[in-house]
Amino acid sequence: MNKKHKKNRNVAIIGVGQTVYSSHREDVNQPEMIHEAVSLALKDAGLTMDDIDCVVHGNMELFEMVHQPDMWHTIGDGAYGKSAFRLTTGGTTGATLVSAADNLVASGMYDVVMAVGFEKLQEGHTTGGITNMADPLWTRHLQTGALTGATASYMIQEFGEERAKRAAMKHRIDMDKHAVLNPNSHRSFGLDYDQMDDLIKNSPQLAGELRLIHMCSQSDGACVVIMASEEKAKKLSNKPVWIRDHITIHREENFSTMFTYDMDERDPTTHRVAAERLFERNGIKDPVEYFNVFEMYDPSSWWGLDWLRDFFLLEGDEVLTMVESDDFKIGGKIPVNPSGGVTSANPIGATAMIRVAEAALQVRGDAGGHQVPGEVNHALASGFGGTYWTVLFMLEKNLDWQKGEQ
Amino acid sequence: MSEYYGTTVEDIFKTQNKRFRAEGSEGVDAVFAYDVQGEGGGRWKLTIKDGACATEKLDSDDFGEYSVKITVDAETFVGVTIGKIDGTEAFTAGKLKVDGQIPLMMELPKLFTKYAPPGKEVTAADILATSESRFQPENAEGLDITVGYNLAGDGGGQWTAVIKDGTCKLEEGLRDNLTVCNIVKAKDFVDLMLGKLDPIVAFGAGRLRLVGDMEIAQRLPKIFSKFKSNASEPVEELIMLKKIISVDMKYSTGPTMGKFLNGLKEKKILANVCPKCGRKQLPPRECCAVCRCDVDEFVEVGPEGIVTYCDIIYYASPDPLTGETRETPYGALFVLLDGCKDREALWHLLKKEDLVDVKRGDRVRPVWVENPTGSVYDIIYFEKVR
Amino acid sequence: MANRAAICAVAQIPFESNLWQQRVQGMVFPVVKSIMEQTGVSFGGEKGIQNVVTCSDDVFDARTISDNGVTDEVGAHYQGEEKVAMDGVNAIAYALACILSGHDDVTMVVAHCKESQSEDRNMCTNLAFDPFYCRPVGLDYLNLAAMQARAYMDVSGITDKHLAKVVELSRKNAAENPLAIAREPVSAEEVMKSPMICDPIRDLHVYPVSDGAIAMLIANEDRCREFTDKPVWITGFGNCMDSYFPGDRNLASNFSLKRAAERAYIMAGVTNPEKEFDMAEVHSSYAYQLPMWCEGLGLCGEGNGGEWIDGGGMEKKNVNPSGGPLGGFPIMVGGLAGAAEAVLQLRGEAGKRQIYGAKKALAHGTTGAAGQHHAVMILENK
Repeated sequence: MNKKHKKNRNVAIIGVGQTVYSSHREDVNQPEMIHEAVSLALKDAGLTMDDIDCVVHGNMELFEMVHQPDMWHTIGDGAYGKSAFRLTTGGTTGATLVSAADNLVASGMYDVVMAVGFEKLQEGHTTGGITNMADPLWTRHLQTGALTGATASYMIQEFGEERAKRAAMKHRIDMDKHAVLNPNSHRSFGLDYDQMDDLIKNSPQLAGELRLIHMCSQSDGACVVIMASEEKAKKLSNKPVWIRDHITIHREENFSTMFTYDMDERDPTTHRVAAERLFERNGIKDPVEYFNVFEMYDPSSWWGLDWLRDFFLLEGDEVLTMVESDDFKIGGKIPVNPSGGVTSANPIGATAMIRVAEAALQVRGDAGGHQVPGEVNHALASGFGGTYWTVLFMLEKNLDWQKGEQ
Repeated sequence: MSEYYGTTVEDIFKTQNKRFRAEGSEGVDAVFAYDVQGEGGGRWKLTIKDGACATEKLDSDDFGEYSVKITVDAETFVGVTIGKIDGTEAFTAGKLKVDGQIPLMMELPKLFTKYAPPGKEVTAADILATSESRFQPENAEGLDITVGYNLAGDGGGQWTAVIKDGTCKLEEGLRDNLTVCNIVKAKDFVDLMLGKLDPIVAFGAGRLRLVGDMEIAQRLPKIFSKFKSNASEPVEELIMLKKIISVDMKYSTGPTMGKFLNGLKEKKILANVCPKCGRKQLPPRECCAVCRCDVDEFVEVGPEGIVTYCDIIYYASPDPLTGETRETPYGALFVLLDGCKDREALWHLLKKEDLVDVKRGDRVRPVWVENPTGSVYDIIYFEKVR
Repeated sequence: MANRAAICAVAQIPFESNLWQQRVQGMVFPVVKSIMEQTGVSFGGEKGIQNVVTCSDDVFDARTISDNGVTDEVGAHYQGEEKVAMDGVNAIAYALACILSGHDDVTMVVAHCKESQSEDRNMCTNLAFDPFYCRPVGLDYLNLAAMQARAYMDVSGITDKHLAKVVELSRKNAAENPLAIAREPVSAEEVMKSPMICDPIRDLHVYPVSDGAIAMLIANEDRCREFTDKPVWITGFGNCMDSYFPGDRNLASNFSLKRAAERAYIMAGVTNPEKEFDMAEVHSSYAYQLPMWCEGLGLCGEGNGGEWIDGGGMEKKNVNPSGGPLGGFPIMVGGLAGAAEAVLQLRGEAGKRQIYGAKKALAHGTTGAAGQHHAVMILENK
């Protein structure tokens, strides 16, 4: 049973701005860094601040230890005199901001909304900050950030040690090869496949078989997306990218139903639930066939590989076969993270927005060195956060999907 | 010996003892082994003990006993040392490998001052060659002048800067009828331009003589911007403000968590049971997330149980409630206590000694503190029943 | 807009200054449960809530992702949840956007804050300033409010006596509100004798340390009758951000409040704010803010705050019948508590403090120091 999707009016992304992502942006303070992305997004859209009705801001306060930071950041995001909202939902924040901007525009309350996601992780302790999400009376004493070897463990259980480890590392190297093509990447190592055996064995362990090389970075950076109503978008932009639908799925606070040695022992993931509901209500039968690119929130290569089967509704060892046959690489069957993904740059409050922004650039054909070949008409983007929460977006180049809908 | 970024591996180790900071080595008793591979590489061993550092170059790959061993190629080593390559990234990418007591790597910045490659000596000619680019036309409006430089001694020579129509050209040799002429030893000139010698002092001591139009002479610092040596410090002064932020908090337990924590005081583990789906919650929570109803009934479970999953954490991170870094590796254990089923696991710690062979289905029991107070730490950890 | 949205139910727990007997989750679940009981709403599927809008604060909760702590309680297991980290009126506005966009038919707003959890709320609000300048000089919400109070009193003829009257009247209203904290009446004389804590702000001018939670059910026009026969329509909303550095702002000017109000009035078709509202709940955490915000909202003439109080403006205009924040509304929850009062009044369910025949109400919430951000909402029962 699923509610049929409807939307009061169409909404498009008409501008994208990203700072470079880096481990050290000591050269700017928080509002200055945000201002860089805001300026780039306005330039990309060919707009000025006068055109913006509303600013939606978000990050996680306890990473930088600034309370209600939208107040200070007003001097960088241009919200002065504008309508303004602040939303935050952990790692999914950036995606939630795009959902919110989509809702605010579709509602008719605002015509042009600017969403601003950022994080300056070097200004605090990221792992400590994430651990702080746990209940202070019990799990906060036990958790270590977002580190777990559970996924590696059950994938090894399911597919055998050799094949699972090689697939995860192949995926890691694929992502790095994408990151090399993206000038905004925080980390692009120039890894090559001949390092596979060495890295599998020697990359330092963080938690179980989750190794340093598998894990995402801690980055500084900001991302801004400008969205407009159909009427405005068609006037203001030559290449509007339409937000067809989005869905947010959370699950309970408790981790013990997720961390297991064996995948069959865990609850269904929010990723699969989100994908099933979103695709069903939009009539998507085969996501791998339908979408031309997927920008996913992959905090680690193990998670990335595991979750791909949820998002693409894959069964058995399909995901391994696909990674082994280069299906997720630029030029492959369904390119995943041509930007390099989260293992290459992770300014957490912006990270999920970068996924949507990069997917939009792919649809526009403006992704530069990491543009995937061929026409990109349908793009998928995901956000991740909290206790395995997910947000999933469908972007479209044209409005033709609506013909059959009415 | 091969150079990388103008520096050899040997250069760096040669200065190692000189860069040692005894004040940063308190309580450190460690041997750092460096296996620097590839062209220009070699093997070195740094022994730090009793506030002293000994650097030793080895002929073989027998390092003997060491605390930590760093394996890296020569180019990466030099790059990281002089700041051209990010050390963390090289480590993550597997180009720099660390074996042994990894946390000792964190001590290195305290133990040694940073290596700075010896700068190439700047000459007077180098400095004057930048005159045209340092010329500030907006401060030379309407000027038609010649400025002479008569520099004696090693590296000396004679030059004239011709300023006219808002442009500046540097010529060799001294023109006649100079508007103003600097007469100074080449070495003093370099020091003056690098800010090492105070011009008032030099002028007062007669080491710098200015002949001609003194008004123009006084305007020279505006007509030419300051010379910046490549080896000098960053231009902009960026400040990093370091703060520890803490606001005292008092967390209520509420009746549900309170009942559970009070149970621990009597070494009892209490789960609450959903009246609709029957799921047990550990630790107990106010409502059942699945049924969205109150969960008021409690049952005692355990204390023994079986392992459903154990995460072995190697990454040393702070406990945000105490600020203290956790000892690693530690086992984050999920245990299905007797009386629980399916996914009703409790999250706690596993005894360190049991990490080596922990697996699903292992039977474990809690090890209690002597005087429980109603906290997570009333159970020290779970241990395997052997 | 194709549709309208209505508040179909509200649930609150009585606010307390130290709700030590419950953790945050224990505060939140009763209000969510009450909404389910009042309306029979379910979660998921074709008819249930698919997305919940929460409102809370990471710093006051001392928890990264504060909404993660209440995912279970707000019913979001395998549903969506999005947190608005501002005053709760903005959370209702975001829920309104979720409905009007067509994305949701029905949604729930849940807000909580436990101010008592931190040793000192001024230490929390000090962190709301930049770490380089304002934080080291010691600004927090209280002392910047004091600067604003002084600036406002200079231009409006407001005196210590007026402020005392505001507190006296607020307490009188709070006494009739079983959810309020500060329900003992105080006389103006007592207020004027209360200790000066941050000149010109006296101890009794400041809202009490408050803990509490509120939930509301919001649905579109087609479906609201499934949940209530007394829907309260959200007919107008506007918000606005002022600049950040206190030196860049004219603290006495009501810059962002005027714009927020103007936006809300245009949306709701309000042309004469001084006459059109049957009641208003303004988010005055400090006594001086009540006349000041009323000026900014156009409920009283600009610069006339003093005269307006003397002339019984607060009683005539039915400002803060709940007692308002001076009776005890937690930060984040504050504006939402005002909106909840407006809903009860418009439904005729406000008990002893009922304003008979109330049809149109204003609810206001502010976020940040000295009203940097304001949100204004118009509610109607027709």
